[in-house]
Amino acid sequence: MAEKSQPSANYRTWPVILALAIVSLPLVLMYAYLFIDTVTDKQPAALMPDTLTLRHWTFLWQTPPGRPNIWLVTLNTLIFTASTTAVVLLVSSMAGYVLSRLNVPARGFFLAGVMVLHAFPSVTLIIAIFIVLQMVGLYNSLIGVILVKAAIDLPLGIWLMKGFYDSVPWEIEMAGVVDGASRFRVWRSLVLPQVRPAIMALALFSFLSSWGEFILPQVLAPGGQVQVLSVYLSGLIADDNNFDFGTFKAVGVFYVIPVLLLYGFFHKYLMNIYGGGSKG
Amino acid sequence: MRSSRTLGLIMIAPAAIMIVLFFLMPVVLTAVFSFTNMTTATGISGGAYQIAPNSLIALKDEMPEVVQQLTEPRYAIDEEGIKGVEGLALEPGIARELREKHLGEVFSSRREAERMIKDLTDRPSTRDVKQISEQFNRSVANLRFSSKEDLFASLDKFGFKMTPEEKEGLASATYTGWSWTTENFSRIASSPDMAQILFNTLLYVALVLVLFNTCYAMLLAIWTHYMPNVQATIFRSVWLLPRITPVVIYVLMWKWLAWDTGFISTFMGKFGYAPKNYLLDNAYNAWLFVVLINGFIGASMGMLVFSSALKAIPKSQFFASEVDGASRWQQIRYIILPQMRWPILFVTCYQTLSLLASFNEILLSTRGGPGKATEVWSLAAYHTALNNYAGNLEYGLGAAMALVLVIIGIILSLAYLRVFNYATLVARPLIED
Repeated sequence: MAEKSQPSANYRTWPVILALAIVSLPLVLMYAYLFIDTVTDKQPAALMPDTLTLRHWTFLWQTPPGRPNIWLVTLNTLIFTASTTAVVLLVSSMAGYVLSRLNVPARGFFLAGVMVLHAFPSVTLIIAIFIVLQMVGLYNSLIGVILVKAAIDLPLGIWLMKGFYDSVPWEIEMAGVVDGASRFRVWRSLVLPQVRPAIMALALFSFLSSWGEFILPQVLAPGGQVQVLSVYLSGLIADDNNFDFGTFKAVGVFYVIPVLLLYGFFHKYLMNIYGGGSKG
Repeated sequence: MRSSRTLGLIMIAPAAIMIVLFFLMPVVLTAVFSFTNMTTATGISGGAYQIAPNSLIALKDEMPEVVQQLTEPRYAIDEEGIKGVEGLALEPGIARELREKHLGEVFSSRREAERMIKDLTDRPSTRDVKQISEQFNRSVANLRFSSKEDLFASLDKFGFKMTPEEKEGLASATYTGWSWTTENFSRIASSPDMAQILFNTLLYVALVLVLFNTCYAMLLAIWTHYMPNVQATIFRSVWLLPRITPVVIYVLMWKWLAWDTGFISTFMGKFGYAPKNYLLDNAYNAWLFVVLINGFIGASMGMLVFSSALKAIPKSQFFASEVDGASRWQQIRYIILPQMRWPILFVTCYQTLSLLASFNEILLSTRGGPGKATEVWSLAAYHTALNNYAGNLEYGLGAAMALVLVIIGIILSLAYLRVFNYATLVARPLIED
């Protein structure tokens, strides 16, 4: 059936491929030049680069005046991303199990509430969150942004995990309970391994979304000591003096490579969220 | 089952706490803040009462006799003044007698205070009397009081005669913190700027939604549907790039394309056009780029949903139609589109909400410019409350603007909940891969 995998075999496909290639050109062009421009130089009015150079990458070992050190910023980004992912995974794998299997009061209400929040534009709450963090003194700290970002990703996580727990057969839990394990033990040793694809998908989604998150760190932790890469890069773009695309693109490539690598390796898992789920 | 119930409560507690703290509480607080006039100037915690010269000037028309009283000097014999007298190195008996006999007295003019000082047993010289009385010259002007009670107490102490209404009026006129008001909403309702922003928002959502999130996404899904697997995978990956790329880099690439040293300028330069900033040189171009930038991101989600829906259509329907001699257009018209009703409805509804609240891309690319041509509602709320050029951040007004979006969000999500519970029942095989 391999040759019949496309739905209609007797049509020519090359005009469609050509059309799609033309509309995809801006994206391909932008991405190609994103990488090319970081290691080459060209004349001001030329389209093609003429010399190879590494000077755009000097930001790795030289800190420009008035900017935080790139490695400090990278470390912040890693801490932010890893902590957010860990919190989202832990909290939503527990809550999802409860909503799928355990009998708690107000379960239906919680489930509906999570679904509403899942579709809810959390960015609209940022003004209140900003004022609250200032009041409780978590403004300009990584902990504050981590908690807020994790909470915002949580409804999707809970919803996704609940769906996967629903598909785990009851017999596995029954067997565990009959053998004398507690419900907690059953969850940890028997059920959790069954939903590994969901955990992978959620981990990847959470990693990508925290790694790229811009507006929360920008508003809640803009200070130099706690800056993350997105805020650092946006500071560079906003700097209209001495505008140099080569350097900015080098920082951009430095920032985007982990995303592309992870996505390249694990994209099949992520499709669980984007394809079957509903979050945009 | 008792243990499972306890375990359930424990396991759901972290999620419940985080959602209450960072979702429900901000919703409630957004509503609360929207009824205040909080700005950078008033601060976010409670303010103080300060009878500053300019608040007195402002109050002059309203209650002239109160202002008149407040500008008169008062002479109050208090511990601080007596310490000052001790520091003057006069006869020690003067300070002692003032403390023992006159502490707490208030005189409404210098003459009365000096008459009392002259009558002291030690009888200071006229020059000393002036020095001593100067130590007790007290004015409420420019004093800060942390609460209304402190303010009233000191007004009473200095012997100002005011009615309770006058006191309240004075308190509200001299309060430096924020206060409750509904003015934010009347400003939103009446300002022509807001009408413009509302129009921008509707235009933005409609353009991106119709052109990219549904139409172009459908086109992508159908195109890749008719393609061999390898090519289809390549094109789908390319169109997913905008979604997985961090937004800051994604916008940087568009800037490179559109700026005066960027790709389009250089390319057009070959044909003799002067380089210019295509992103910001006029409102039409800015709109074009804003729609393109957001549309390229938005297209991917529609593409994924539509693609998986297309895969769920039984292949036999396509083969059968081919046998009957259907053209590709007829296949699209009579097989694909009728079966895509729910996915289209879902994407449209869902993306409406996402688009209404999204402003990252506009903020990073045009910042709402040129002028305020591409300022949309959520961006305007952000600019008002968190980042504006004037420097005085209007938290209250910004919260009121955000509240409008919050209310729209809640109404729409509840509506979706109704529609799509139904939809998942009806169209289950379409969404599933």
